[in-house]
Amino acid sequence: MADHQAQLVVIGAGPGGYTAAFRAADLGMDVVLVERWDTLGGVCLNVGCIPSKALLHAAKVIDEAAAMADHGIAFGKPRIDAPKLRDWKNAVVSKLTGGLTQLAKQRNVRVVHGIAKFVSANSLQLDNGETIAFEKCIIAAGSESIMLPGLPDDRRIIDSTGALELDPLPKRMLVVGGGIIGLEMACVYSALGTDVSVVELLDSLMPGTDSDLLRPFLKIVKPRYEAIMTSTKVTGMRSTVPGIEVTFEGKNAPEIGVYDRVLVAVGRRANGDQLAADKAGVDVSDRGVISVDKQMRTNVPHIFAIGDLVPGPMLAHKATHEAKVAAEVAAGEKSHFDARTIPSVAYTDPEIAWVGLTETEAKEQGVDYDLTKIPWAASGRALSLGRAEGFTKLLWDKKTERVLGGAIVGPNAGDLIAEIGLAIEMGADAADIGQTVHPHPTLSETVAFAAEAYAGTLTDLYMPKKR
Amino acid sequence: MATTIDIIIPDLGDFEDVEVIEVLVKAGDTVAREDGLITLETDKAAMDVPSPENGTIEVLTATEGDKVNSGDVIGKLTIEVSDTVVIAPAIRYEPTGDTTVLATPASADGKAPKTGGVQTLVVPDLGDFDDVEVIEVLIANGDEISEEDPLVTLETDKAAMDVPAIVAGRIESVLVKVGDKVSKGSSLAIIEAVARAEQPDVASDATVVLAPRFPEVVADAPAPVKQQAPQSPARELPPINEAGFSRAHASPSVRKLARELGVDLAQLNGSGAKGRILHDDVRAFVKAILTGQAASAVGGGLPKTPSIDYSKFGEIESQPLTRIQKISGPRLQASWINLPHVTQHDLADITDLEARRQELKGPAKERGIPLTPLAFIIKAVVAALREFPTVNSSLSDDGKSLVLKNYIHIGFAADTDQGLMVPVIRDADQKDVYELATELAELSAAAREGKLKTPQLQGASFTVSSLGGIGGTAFTPIVNAPEVAILGVSRSSMQPVWNGSKFAPRLMLPLSLSYDHRVVDGAAAVRFTTFLGQKLSDVEDLLRAAP
Repeated sequence: MADHQAQLVVIGAGPGGYTAAFRAADLGMDVVLVERWDTLGGVCLNVGCIPSKALLHAAKVIDEAAAMADHGIAFGKPRIDAPKLRDWKNAVVSKLTGGLTQLAKQRNVRVVHGIAKFVSANSLQLDNGETIAFEKCIIAAGSESIMLPGLPDDRRIIDSTGALELDPLPKRMLVVGGGIIGLEMACVYSALGTDVSVVELLDSLMPGTDSDLLRPFLKIVKPRYEAIMTSTKVTGMRSTVPGIEVTFEGKNAPEIGVYDRVLVAVGRRANGDQLAADKAGVDVSDRGVISVDKQMRTNVPHIFAIGDLVPGPMLAHKATHEAKVAAEVAAGEKSHFDARTIPSVAYTDPEIAWVGLTETEAKEQGVDYDLTKIPWAASGRALSLGRAEGFTKLLWDKKTERVLGGAIVGPNAGDLIAEIGLAIEMGADAADIGQTVHPHPTLSETVAFAAEAYAGTLTDLYMPKKR
Repeated sequence: MATTIDIIIPDLGDFEDVEVIEVLVKAGDTVAREDGLITLETDKAAMDVPSPENGTIEVLTATEGDKVNSGDVIGKLTIEVSDTVVIAPAIRYEPTGDTTVLATPASADGKAPKTGGVQTLVVPDLGDFDDVEVIEVLIANGDEISEEDPLVTLETDKAAMDVPAIVAGRIESVLVKVGDKVSKGSSLAIIEAVARAEQPDVASDATVVLAPRFPEVVADAPAPVKQQAPQSPARELPPINEAGFSRAHASPSVRKLARELGVDLAQLNGSGAKGRILHDDVRAFVKAILTGQAASAVGGGLPKTPSIDYSKFGEIESQPLTRIQKISGPRLQASWINLPHVTQHDLADITDLEARRQELKGPAKERGIPLTPLAFIIKAVVAALREFPTVNSSLSDDGKSLVLKNYIHIGFAADTDQGLMVPVIRDADQKDVYELATELAELSAAAREGKLKTPQLQGASFTVSSLGGIGGTAFTPIVNAPEVAILGVSRSSMQPVWNGSKFAPRLMLPLSLSYDHRVVDGAAAVRFTTFLGQKLSDVEDLLRAAP
C-alpha cells in the first residue's frame, strides 16, 4: 500500500504544476501535488519572473528619477540598501507563494514535498522513501539553468537565481549569454550602479528576434554598459583574488577581463530526464524534453507533460495554459491546446515584446505579408514619458488583411502586446483593430495607428499608402 | 441506387428438406415482386417461392433436385431502390442492433444522458410512409421489457415491421391500440426506463427515436450516422485535420466547442462576418452530420442535393463553369433563397405596336438603328415604374424600410457565349425609343464581345429578360436582387381575342413579372402588368419623345 493515493498526481508546483493541480481539483479530481522545494510557485515565483520583476521595477524607478534631472527635477544619487531591497523582493515572493499554499488548501489539493521519481506507470517514489500511487499523472518538473562546463568553483560565478540575491552588489559584472534572462539582470545591475558587460556567442543579442527590435534597446543600453560583445566566445575563466579572470575570443572583445561577478545565463535545460520516466514507459529526448500531443498526453496516455519540459518556449504563460488542458483532459474533458500564439517579452528597459509571426519567420516561411510600423515619436504619450525611442510594428496577411504578428519596443511593451495576441486569436483584421476606439493618450494607440496605417486611414503620421 | 438482397426460403411450416422440382428463373432474369423463382414440392403440395422484390437475379444456387429448408439462402437479387423502401417481409432481416439516434448528440454542457426516468417511446422515421396502421400491440401496461423488444407491429403497403424498444424498462402506459394510424414521431408508450450500465459520453435529447427493425435503404443518401455503441458520436465525425483546424477563422471559444464536439473546423464555412465560423455553424455542422446530410451543407444549413457517381451509368466528362456562370450562380441562388418570389403572368396586345414598328423599322435601319420590340417594351416599363415607384426600389439592409430610387436604370439580360450578362441602360426614362434601341444594340454587342465595362453592368433598378426572340409562352425569371422585380418576356403569338362581339386575331405578348413579395404585393403586381399592357397597346404614346 502506497503512502499516498491519488486520482491525479502533479509533479512540480511551478506555474504549470499548481495550475494543473488546482484546475483538476476544481473539476472534482483528488489531487496530490509534489514539490521538491519548501514553497510552491517553482522557478517563476521563487527565483524567476516575479523577483526579477520586483528588481526591474526598482531599476526603473532609479532610471526614471535620474532621467528627470534633465527636465527640472533632480533627486541626487540614490542610496542603495541592497539587503533592504532584497527583503522587499523576498516579501513579494512570500506573499505569492503563501497565497498558493492557501489556494491549495482551499481546494483540498494535498501538497507533498520531495523529489519524485517514477517506479512504474502508476506509482512514484519520493527521495524520502514515501510512495505515491496514482491513476493519472501530470509531469510539470520544469527546467534548470545551464551551467557552462569546466568553471572554477567560485561563489562569484552565479546563475540567474544567484543574481537575484544582490549579495553583495558587484562593481563590475560580466553577463555570459545575451538572451532575455541575462539582459534583464544586466538591466537591474546596471541601474544599481554595477558596470555591466554582456558577452554573446552569436552575432546578435536575443538570437532569433527581429533585428529592428534591438535597435531602440541598444540605443538605450549601449551607452550605459561597459561592453556588449557579440560573436564572442568565452574561452576560459580563472578564479583569482581580485576577481574572475575571463578570457574571450572575438573581434570586438578584449583578450581578458577581470570581473567581481560573472552571471552565466546561457539558457535552460528541460528536466524531463530527472524523473526516471522510462520506468513509466514515457519517452524522453536526450535533451530532457518530453513530447506530447495536442491534449498534452505523453506516449503513455494517462501520463501528461506540460511546461518547460515539453517542446516550445519555456514560458510560464505557456505552462499555465497547457496545465489547464492537461487537467481538463485528465478529468475527462475534450480540451486541446489550440492557442495560435504565445507572446514573448523581455522585461528589459525598454521592454521588447512580440507575438505571432515575426518578420524573420515570415521571410523564412515565404509568407506574403505586409508590414506597418509606428514610431513612438508619433505618440504623445510616449513623448510625455520621455521615451520616444520605441515603436509598434504589425504584420498583415495581404489576402485577408488579418494581423499575423506584432512586436512592440518601449516601456510597457509586455502589457501592450496582449491586445495583439487577442487580435490574432480572434482573427481580427486591420479594420477591426483600427476601428476599435483606443483611449487617448495612451501607448495602446500605437497599435491602432499601425492598423490604421495598413488600412490607409492613419492621420497622425504621413505615410505613403500601403494599399 | 441498386442494392443486393438475399433470396431466402420462407417459413415452410413443419416441412423439412423440401425438394426443388423446378427452377423458374436464371441469373440475369428480371423479375417482379411475387414472381415465382423456384417451385418446391412437399408431400402435400407444390408451391412457388416468390421474388421478394422487383429486380434482377444476381445469382441463383438452387437447382432441381436440391433439398431446401426454411431460411436457406438460395440466391441473390439486385433491386433498384428509388426511394426509401422498407424491404418486404418475405425477407428476414435480423435487427442490426444499431441504434439510430437522430437527436442532437451533445448538449453543450456534455452532461450524462437522461437514459433513466420516464420517457416517451415514439415511432421512428418510416421513410415515405405516413398514417401507418398498427396491426398488433405487443406490450401491455406494467410489462417489463428489454432493449430491442418489439413494442408494436406496423403494416405499410409494402411491409410489416416491428418497432423495437430503444431502452429497457417498465411500460407505464400504452398509448396506441390495434387499428390506430401512426406516423413518424407518434407516441407509442410511456416507459419508466432503466438507465443503461454503460452510458454515452454525451447527452441525447429527451426524445428517444427508435430504430426500425428493418434497415432503411435511402437512395443515394449518405448512411445516417449510427451509434454503434453507447459511445461518443464524435467518433462518427470526420477526423480533425490539425493543420486546417489551426488556420480556421474561429475564435478560441469556437475552437473549444469544436473540440468538445469533435468537429474539424477546416470543414466549415463560417456564416459570420468575413467568413468567421460561429458557434452556431459548429452546431449546425454536427446536426447536419447526424441527420445524414452531407458534411459540406453548413453555413446556410441547407440540405444538399445528392452526390451521385454518374460514371456508374455511362461515360461522363467534366466541363468547368464559365467565369460568368461562377459569378452569377451564387447570386441567382442567393436571390432564390432570400426572396419570396411570386410570378404574375399576363398578355399584352401589341398588334398595333408591331404594325407600327414594322413601318418604322426600315427608315430606322437606314439611320443604323435596329428598332426591336424590346426598345418599346423598355419604354413601356419606364412608364410603369413611374406609376408604381415601389417596383423601382430596394429593401434596406435591415429590412425595415424601402429605398426608393429617383432614377430609372434598366438592366436587360443578354445571352452571351460566356453566360448570362445584364448590361444596364442608364436613365432610361430620359431616352426615347430610338435612343433606347441604339443603346440596346451597342450594349448587346459589347456584351457578346466581352467588352462591357464594370459601370455598364452596375446600377440597375429593374431588369427585363426577353426570351421572345427564341420562343416560349411564359417563364418565371429570378429577381436580380436587391432589385425587387424582373419582367420576363416570351414570344408573341397571334391569338383569338374576344372583343365583345366576336373573336378577333390579336398579336399577344406574354409578360411574366417576378417580384419580391416582401415589397410588392399581388394586387400591385397585377396593376403593374395591366398598366404595362395598356402602355404597350398605345404605340403612339411610346413613340413620343422622352421628356
